[in-house]
Amino acid sequence: MKASLSVDLHKLAKFVNLSLPVLSVLFFFAGLHLSFYFHFATVTFLLLTVINLFYLRVQRSHALLGNFGIIGQARYMMESIGPELRQYFFANDTEERPFNRNERAEVYRKAKNVDSAASFGSQQNFDEFELKLRHTMFPVAKSELQPFSLTLGEERGIANAYTLSSPFMISAMSYGALGEKAVRSLSRGAKKTGILMNTGEGGYPKYHLEEGGNLIFQIGTAKFGVRTPEGHLDEAKLKEVCAKDQIKMIEIKLSQGAKPGKGGMLPKEKITQEISELRGVPLGKDVISPPSHVECTSPEATVEFIKRIQEISQLPVGIKLCLGRPEEFEELVEAMIKRQSFPDWITVDGSEGGTGAAPKAFLDSVGIPIYPALKIVGDILKKHNVRDRLKVFAGGKLISPARQIMAFCLGADAIYTARGFMLALGCIQALECGNNTCPVGITTHDPSLQRGLDIEQKANRVCNYVHALEHDLRELLSATGCRSVREFNEEHLFIPKGTILSSLYTKNTLAPVSS
Amino acid sequence: MNKLSTILSWVFQIVAAAILAQTLYFKFSGHPESVKLFSELGMEPHGRVLIGILELVAVLLLIRPTSAIWGAILSVGVMSGAIIGHFTHLGWDGERGQLGMLAVLVFVASLAVLAIRRKTIPFLKSVFDENVPVEAPVEEE
Repeated sequence: MKASLSVDLHKLAKFVNLSLPVLSVLFFFAGLHLSFYFHFATVTFLLLTVINLFYLRVQRSHALLGNFGIIGQARYMMESIGPELRQYFFANDTEERPFNRNERAEVYRKAKNVDSAASFGSQQNFDEFELKLRHTMFPVAKSELQPFSLTLGEERGIANAYTLSSPFMISAMSYGALGEKAVRSLSRGAKKTGILMNTGEGGYPKYHLEEGGNLIFQIGTAKFGVRTPEGHLDEAKLKEVCAKDQIKMIEIKLSQGAKPGKGGMLPKEKITQEISELRGVPLGKDVISPPSHVECTSPEATVEFIKRIQEISQLPVGIKLCLGRPEEFEELVEAMIKRQSFPDWITVDGSEGGTGAAPKAFLDSVGIPIYPALKIVGDILKKHNVRDRLKVFAGGKLISPARQIMAFCLGADAIYTARGFMLALGCIQALECGNNTCPVGITTHDPSLQRGLDIEQKANRVCNYVHALEHDLRELLSATGCRSVREFNEEHLFIPKGTILSSLYTKNTLAPVSS
Repeated sequence: MNKLSTILSWVFQIVAAAILAQTLYFKFSGHPESVKLFSELGMEPHGRVLIGILELVAVLLLIRPTSAIWGAILSVGVMSGAIIGHFTHLGWDGERGQLGMLAVLVFVASLAVLAIRRKTIPFLKSVFDENVPVEAPVEEE
């Protein structure tokens, strides 16, 4: 473009800076001689002139405002509404993160029990490196499918072995991360569908228990709820928690996908009086859990700690971790074999997992994503012949049947999702989880923001979501010719070259190598 | 904000709101003195009611903690107009002078509220951020 035709913003700014006082004076005279009403404009322009002078001459913290004055402010204002504009108007249906509009819409439709059939064709890019499911020419009739059943703790022969009748579970979200109403909705929904809900590391799970859902009690690295003042395990408190009928299993959190190598975080904005009491933490200070359990100093010590919890609780006990170094995981498995002491399951959390608050570097760059992690864990377990001894739960953006099936094929026995259930509750991905300002009342303790969240309605959405996932799972089982989830394996996957996953296979072919 | 500045802000808010509120009665009931005043400005009767409504809104905003800053901005604007009126049309003699000084008082009190709560002024707040280098991290516990 010719320079003479372009807009010189610096000149425009100088023009505005000059016009503000001039307009104030002009309107003053109009107010003086024509009508006093003009002084509404006089006052407005006077205030703008004062603000402008302040920007140009007084403040030193923003160079842009210092150089351009009040029209420089437009940049900040427009930038601040950018996320909303992009989400409403400009971002296309497949480009937002962590979940694009298509992915979110699928969960919303499932939760509202609306038909999720779409027309004309897929919006995915088929030339890209995407995993696909390989179906069979001869699908299995729905009547031949076996109902899902997975028993935890049976190998140890404990009286309280627990059988999952649905492969879907609500992943760990504490009261603290979630507000009271969201916890109640999820717990009530879990009760309606008979699925398990993980309590997260939030201390005594008061509201989780009150709504009657069956629970997995999570012991985080800070051991909220079962902690001695020094941060060790308080056995009496653990026994007390395990005595509750609703607590079906215990999960020891070693690390979390969103921030592996770092403990849980609860920002001070979200610590209410009640939460500080339930967790035993001070008010007005960010709560950061230690990066690891004090007991778990080596593979052997970790196995010992798991065994100790199994003995105290007499419940199925699992561990949750995000895979970092496969060699370390192998050492842990070897320690289990050496002592012949195993957790009842391992939760593999992918580094794409969600969180209420995590440092950006951890969120973006630490840990192995779920698909390769499942593959590596599966291979290590098979190598040591303990794949049948240890169940594997998977988590990490597994909100839709498509991603869940891939996880099943790569060795998951059951699926954890947290954000899937948040979306079912009406999450709009405003990314405000750590600020206590969640606009739909899920991750906030502000009563005026929780007001709009109706527990019964949302519990029904949770219920619908689970049933729709189960429905789609059955459809996909049939399409792949499998009668149960256990029959899924890597052979059912189409893994294109160039994906992270394909690099884990020895021969770099389009189809996986048979193991 | 520390406790002292919170209290101070509330004192100014109450002073401004109280003065604004007590003139509302005269404006809305059409008290002869108020009618005369607005006639001189050439704003009778619509301007009187309009200004009354703006002042009422300012009072309501000033007495709620989360909206006090908006009340102070509105109040500064309306009082600027009143002060202009006293300089150009109404004068400062006798009772008029007292009314004028009340307007100045509300103006100053509202400015004080703005100054104390400057870190919450919409759009402007970020320029009041303290720019001090953070300390290097230390080992916890």
